[in-house]
Amino acid sequence: MVGSTTVLPIATRAAERFVAKNNGRVSITVNGGGSGVGVQSAGSGLTDIGLVSREITPREKKRFDKPGLRIIAVGRDAVACVVSSEIYSAGVRALSREQIGGIYLGKIKNWKEVGGPDRAIVVVDKERHRGTRHVFMKYVFSDENARAPGARLVTGSNNEGQSKIADSDSAIGMLSFAWLNNEVVGIGIREKGEVITPTLETVRANRYPISRSLNFVIAGEPKGLVKEFLDFIMSPEGQAIVDQSGYIPVHAF
Amino acid sequence: MALVSLACIAGLFAFLVMQSVPILSEQKWNFLLGQDWWAGEVYGALPLIYGSCMVTGLALLLVLPLAMGGAVFTSEFLSAQQRLWVKALMELFAGVPGIIYGLLGVGLLTGWVKDSFGLIDGNTILTAGLLLGIMILPTILTLSEDALNAVPGHYRDASLGLGLTKLQMVLSAVIPQALPGIAGAVFLGLGRAMGETIAVMLVIGGLDKIADPWYDLFAPAQSIASKLGREAAEAIGSDLQWSALMALGLILFLIVMFFSLLGNLLLKRAR
Repeated sequence: MVGSTTVLPIATRAAERFVAKNNGRVSITVNGGGSGVGVQSAGSGLTDIGLVSREITPREKKRFDKPGLRIIAVGRDAVACVVSSEIYSAGVRALSREQIGGIYLGKIKNWKEVGGPDRAIVVVDKERHRGTRHVFMKYVFSDENARAPGARLVTGSNNEGQSKIADSDSAIGMLSFAWLNNEVVGIGIREKGEVITPTLETVRANRYPISRSLNFVIAGEPKGLVKEFLDFIMSPEGQAIVDQSGYIPVHAF
Repeated sequence: MALVSLACIAGLFAFLVMQSVPILSEQKWNFLLGQDWWAGEVYGALPLIYGSCMVTGLALLLVLPLAMGGAVFTSEFLSAQQRLWVKALMELFAGVPGIIYGLLGVGLLTGWVKDSFGLIDGNTILTAGLLLGIMILPTILTLSEDALNAVPGHYRDASLGLGLTKLQMVLSAVIPQALPGIAGAVFLGLGRAMGETIAVMLVIGGLDKIADPWYDLFAPAQSIASKLGREAAEAIGSDLQWSALMALGLILFLIVMFFSLLGNLLLKRAR
């Protein structure tokens, strides 16, 4: 299994449990790389299951027309707009879509323009093929491939993004909910005068605007062990793993 | 043996050239001169070539005085025993994997650069240059020292016999004799710096953009190697993006080969 670092915690835990259930007679390798890598690897047969935290793009669908990509949603997640803890403490608790857009376009350069301290904004972008970026940009600019000329840093995995934002005292970025902590704080999204906080409750209630399916992608019909593994992840035990990883299961049992 | 390696190199070169054909025929010179890289649309390599040159050049500028001073001191002013210790240590450092330096860079250097220069962020060209400088220092120092040490003793005796001080002797007799070897050492170090991927990737900021003004060392950038490291897995076997990355690889390959060949040639002549 290869791909999205957002889906990685689910895949890792599920793989461990699956191997233990089979008394170690099977072995599974799990690796990150990003959603783009997940689609690419599954489509070209480099891996059995691609981990993808976004929709499959038309370009990808066309490229892997032959094998036929099959997408299995295993859970739901949301992407938060995050800031360094110093900025949160200084009073930036929520931003509107227009403000986030202005920051990523480089039109808003200082935190004081959005109610924060007088400090330059370190805008942290992600590599273009990352699922988290697709979902975030789709919300902010209604275009999953939108450019961000205001970016100061470009990071890859969720972990890299998290640590760069935590290291800084004036950064803004995008992260899956499962990576939020005391140093990288998710801020609310202001929509029509109302602040929607980034919590699993608002996602469950379908109120939080930046959410997505977490997918396993395979090429062609699932067979043998792959099919067994897919059945496992959709079982009550498998869906409990999704919950433990900090995401929302697709099936409530 | 030499033929086998030559064939391998030629094969690799041919492979890179073949894989680069699609992007080069599609974009022609715009691939080299374009400033915009946006996978799926346009591939301009100039910011990456710029990034590689900046960090490597900076590393060289920073490290040259230190490496030269260290080499002269080790070769001319230390006892044979002490010299061996220094050499062993330098060779040990030269073998430390890039990722270790990268971790040091992320853990210490970015914070230090940010605080000492009052920047908003520590992932800059300067940080990458500093880190690369630290990485290539041992290689350049120990190879330059070899070159100095290989200068025959009678040059030294003659200079001292003329009444020169030891320092004057080193400057006027030993260094000029060792110059080709020193230059060789520098080129080999440059080759390593150019190709270094992970350490640079971790501290350079990952932004495919030429700084404004171009000599702004406190701006983030992206080197050829770090770009390849970031995008290769995503692009495997795909259309133009893969070809564009292979063309980047070709550029890197040519530059590093040039440095290594020149370095080895000069070192050989020095011996």
